[in-house]
Amino acid sequence: MSQKTTPIVHTAGLCKVFRDFWRRPKVAAVKDLNMEIRPGQIFGLLGPNGSGKSTTIKMLLGLLYPSRGRIAVFGKAPTDVSVKNRIGFLPEESYLYRFLDARETLDYYGRLFRLPERVRTHRTEKLLDMVGLRHEARRRIGEYSKGMARRIGLAQALINDPEFLILDEPTSGLDPIGTRQIKDVIRELGRMGKTILLSSHVLADVEDVCDEISILYGGQQRAAGDIKDLLSKTELTQITTEKLSEETIEHIRDLLTRLEKKDIVSVGAPRHRLEDFFIQVVQESHRANIATSGVRAVGEMPDFLGERTRSLVQSLVEAGRRRDVAAPTGGEVVEPAPIVETPRRAVVEELLASAKEDRRAPEAQEDSPPPAEGPRRAPVEADRAVIDGLLKGSGGGDHSP
Amino acid sequence: MTVAVASRSSRTARRRWRLLRLLIGLPAAAERGVSRFYSWTPLGRTRVGAIAQQTVAEGVRMKIALVFLALIGVCVLGLPLTIQGDSTLTGAVQSYLSYALTTVGFLLAILTIFMSRTVSDELVGKQIMVLMTKPVARWQYILGKWVGICIFNAGFLTFTGFVVFGMVHYIAATHPPIEEIYGSTQMKGRADEPGAPASADRQRLQTEVLVARTATPFILPDFTEAAEAEYQQRLKEGFYDLTRDYDPQEERERLAGKAEAAWRVVQPLSRRLFQFEKVLCDRSADNEIQIRYKAEVFGYPPDEILRAEWVIGDPSKGAARYHAYTRHVIQRYQTIKVPANCVAEDQTLTVMFINRNPYANPEEYPIPEPLYPCTVQFIESAPVECLFVVGTFEGNLARLLALMMCKLTFLAALGLLATSVFSWPVACLVSLAFYALAGMQSFLTEAIDPMDTADATVFSRLADFGRAAMAGDGAAASEAFQGFFLEGVGESLGLLFYVIPNFARFNAVEVLVDGRNVSLVWVLQGIGQLVLVSTTLALGLAMLLFQRREVAEISL
Repeated sequence: MSQKTTPIVHTAGLCKVFRDFWRRPKVAAVKDLNMEIRPGQIFGLLGPNGSGKSTTIKMLLGLLYPSRGRIAVFGKAPTDVSVKNRIGFLPEESYLYRFLDARETLDYYGRLFRLPERVRTHRTEKLLDMVGLRHEARRRIGEYSKGMARRIGLAQALINDPEFLILDEPTSGLDPIGTRQIKDVIRELGRMGKTILLSSHVLADVEDVCDEISILYGGQQRAAGDIKDLLSKTELTQITTEKLSEETIEHIRDLLTRLEKKDIVSVGAPRHRLEDFFIQVVQESHRANIATSGVRAVGEMPDFLGERTRSLVQSLVEAGRRRDVAAPTGGEVVEPAPIVETPRRAVVEELLASAKEDRRAPEAQEDSPPPAEGPRRAPVEADRAVIDGLLKGSGGGDHSP
Repeated sequence: MTVAVASRSSRTARRRWRLLRLLIGLPAAAERGVSRFYSWTPLGRTRVGAIAQQTVAEGVRMKIALVFLALIGVCVLGLPLTIQGDSTLTGAVQSYLSYALTTVGFLLAILTIFMSRTVSDELVGKQIMVLMTKPVARWQYILGKWVGICIFNAGFLTFTGFVVFGMVHYIAATHPPIEEIYGSTQMKGRADEPGAPASADRQRLQTEVLVARTATPFILPDFTEAAEAEYQQRLKEGFYDLTRDYDPQEERERLAGKAEAAWRVVQPLSRRLFQFEKVLCDRSADNEIQIRYKAEVFGYPPDEILRAEWVIGDPSKGAARYHAYTRHVIQRYQTIKVPANCVAEDQTLTVMFINRNPYANPEEYPIPEPLYPCTVQFIESAPVECLFVVGTFEGNLARLLALMMCKLTFLAALGLLATSVFSWPVACLVSLAFYALAGMQSFLTEAIDPMDTADATVFSRLADFGRAAMAGDGAAASEAFQGFFLEGVGESLGLLFYVIPNFARFNAVEVLVDGRNVSLVWVLQGIGQLVLVSTTLALGLAMLLFQRREVAEISL
C-alpha cells in the first residue's frame, strides 16, 4: 500500500466504556466507531459535550485504552512510541508546566523529540514569532492569560513539525484574533499537506477549515462525509453582485419567472462578519503601535513546518514529470482538482443587459419571502451552470462565455 | 564643580543599582547556567535527562526546595545554639552531629516522598496528557522522575554535608572544653592517664570523634569445651533427673552461657586477658591505638570511678609493653590510648586488665587512695575493643551521606510506585507507612518473633480451628483462631519485611558520632541492597503499573 493511500487513522468498532471503582460499567463514551482519516485531510470531529470526541482523541493518542475494537495510527498501535514522533497534539486546555517560561516549555518538548539544540532554538524562536509571544517568552506560563497559554500550546504541538496534528477545541479561550489566527494556521498547515484532526463544538470554526467531518452523538457516529456535500443547499442559487437598484431586481425577478418559473427567495445587502470587522479594527491598532501587554502581531508560518511534506510533494511532482516524459498517455493519472473560476462581472452585466432587452411584467413583489441571509458557502460551480443556463435560455447565444 | 559632583554621585548610584540587580538575578542566572551545562551532558541529552531536569526545576521553582532548605537550615544552623550536651566540647559536637544528621535524614526522607507527588500532580493537572503524546515511553517517564528526585536529593545532601562540616568545625573552634568551664580538677576522672594534656576534652574530640576508627574483631574464647565438661560432670553426679523433660543441647548452651558470664566478671585483685588478632595498623610508635571498654561495677566506689591497671603489649612477640593506670567513670565507654608499637609483629595484641587500684600504692603515691575493692563485669558483646584510625572525618561524613543517599533513592522509587498507583493522599500515606516500617524493621521483627512458632503455620492453625469448630469445642476453637490470627500477622509482617529493606542496618549516624569508620564495604552493601535490589524492584514495579495505567482516566 502506498504512502498516499494508507490512512493516517483507522478505527474499527471502537468502543470505550468507563467503569467505576468496582469495575462496573458506568458510561459508554464511544460506541462502535468506524472512522478513517486520510493523508492531507482536515477532518472535523463534531458533537455536543459528552458526545465522545475527547475520548476518541485520547484513544488515538494512547492516553486511554479502547474497551473493544481496533485502532491504528500510521498503521501502528497508538501506544507505539515511534508513532508519536509524527504527531502533534493540542489538548482542550493548555496543560503546560506553570513554572516554566514559554521558551523553556518549547525547549523541553523539543528535547523530548531529541531535536539538536540548534534546531530546537531555531524552531522555538520561529514558533514564538508565529504565535506572537516572543516578547513574553521569559514570563512563566502560570502568569499567562488563557489565550496566551493556548498559543504556547499550539506552538508545542508544532515543535516536531508533525505530519498529523490533533487539535482538541483549538479556539477555546481565544479572542477573535486568536481564533482567526488558529484557523489561518490550520488552513496553512492543510495547504502544506499536513493531516489535521480538529475536534470542536464551535461549528463555524470547523466549517471554515475542514474538508470532511464526522458528527458524534452519545458516543456514536451520526453523520459523516465531505463538508461540501453535507452543507450544500443544491436547491438554492446565490449570486453576489455590486449593489443593484430596485428596478434591476425587478428585471431579474421577471427574467426568473419567465425562464425558470421561479421567484427570488431573498434579496438583501450582505453584512460584514463581525470577526472580519473586529480583526480589521485590531490590525489598525497594531499598525498604530498602541501599547499592549498581550499578544502582538503574529509572525509568519515557521519555515521549518512542512519541510518533510514539501520534500515529499516535490519528489512526487518530479516523479510525475519523469513519468509524463516516459509515458505521456499511459499509467495511473491522478485527476487534478477542478479549478473553479469565480463568475466574472462581465458575465453578470451581460446577463442583466439581456434581461433589460427582454423585459416582462414582474410578479407581485409582496409575495416574495422576507430577506434572509443566504448560505455563506455557495457552490460556485452551480452558479456558473445556472448563469450559463440563463444565458442560453434568454436566447442570447452571443453572450455565452 | 557642583555639576561634576552630582554626575559622579548619580554614576555611583547607577553602579550600585546595577550591582544590586546583578545580585538579585544571580540565582536565576546560576540556575540557567547549571541547566545549560546539564543539557550538554550525556544524561541531559536523553529524554530521561530532560524529564529529570524538569523535575528538578519543579522542585526548585515551586518553593518546595525553599521550604525544606529553611527547615534544614534551622536544623543544621539553629541546633548548635540550643544543644548543650554533657557540657564537654566532645559531647557538644557529638550531640550536634547526632541531632543534625538524624533530623536532616528524616527531613530529606519526607522531602523525597513529597517530591514523588510530581507524578500525581501531573496526572491531576493533566500535563501528562501532553507529555505522553511525545515520544516518551512510560518507563522513561518514571525513570526520569526518579533521576530528577535523586539529583534533587543529592544537591540537598551535598549542601547539608558542607554545612554540617562547617558547623562541626565552628563548634570545635568556639565551644570551650570542659576544663575551661569547670577547671582541670574536675577532669580528674576523665583524663586517660596521668600527665594528660591540659585540654583532654579537645584532644578527645580530635582522636575519638573527628576521625574514622576501625575496631579489630574481638573473638570471645570458646566456652563449649568447658560447658561440655561441666555437663558431663553433672551427668556423672546425677544432677539431672532423667525423667525430667529437658533438651541436652539446650542444657549445653545454657552451661556455655554461664561460663561466658563468669568469664566476663573480674573479681577484685584478679586479672583478665584479652587477645586481638589482625590488628592491621601502622605499628610505629608515632601512631596510636585505642583500647575502648565499658565496665559495670558491683560494689560501687563512693565516687563511682573505677580504678584499674591495664598492661598492653606482649614483649615475647616483639611488641612494646605499656602500663596504664586508669580512673574512669563507670558505665560509660572509656578509651585508653597507647602507641601502636604495642602491636606484635604478627599483628596480634595482648591486653590485660587488672582489677586493682594502682593509686592506693603508697610507694608510688605519697597520699594513697583507699583500695575501693569492687567486682567488674564487662557486659558489652565485645567487652574490650582495639581501635585505630583508618581515615578522616571528612571521608566518614561523605560515606555516611552516601548511605543516606542510598535510602533516599529507595524512598524516591517507593514514592513513585505509590503515586503511579494511588492518588496523592493515599500514596503519601503508603510511602510514610513503608518508611516507618523500614526504619523500625529490627524492632518489629523482634516484637513479632514470639508469635512465630516453628511447628505451626497459618494453615495448620486454620485446620486446628476447623477441627475444633466441627467438634463443637468452643474453647479450643477460640484458642486455635487466636493462634491462626497471630500466626497470620507474624507471617504477613515477615513477608513484608522480606520485601522492605532494613533502614536501621544502614544507619551510620551513631557510628560517625562515635568516630568509627563508615566503611566503603558498608556503603557498597547499601548500594547493593538498597539501590540495586530494593530500588530496582520498586522502580520496575512502578514502571509496570504505570504502563498499564490510563493517564487520561476519568473518575466515576
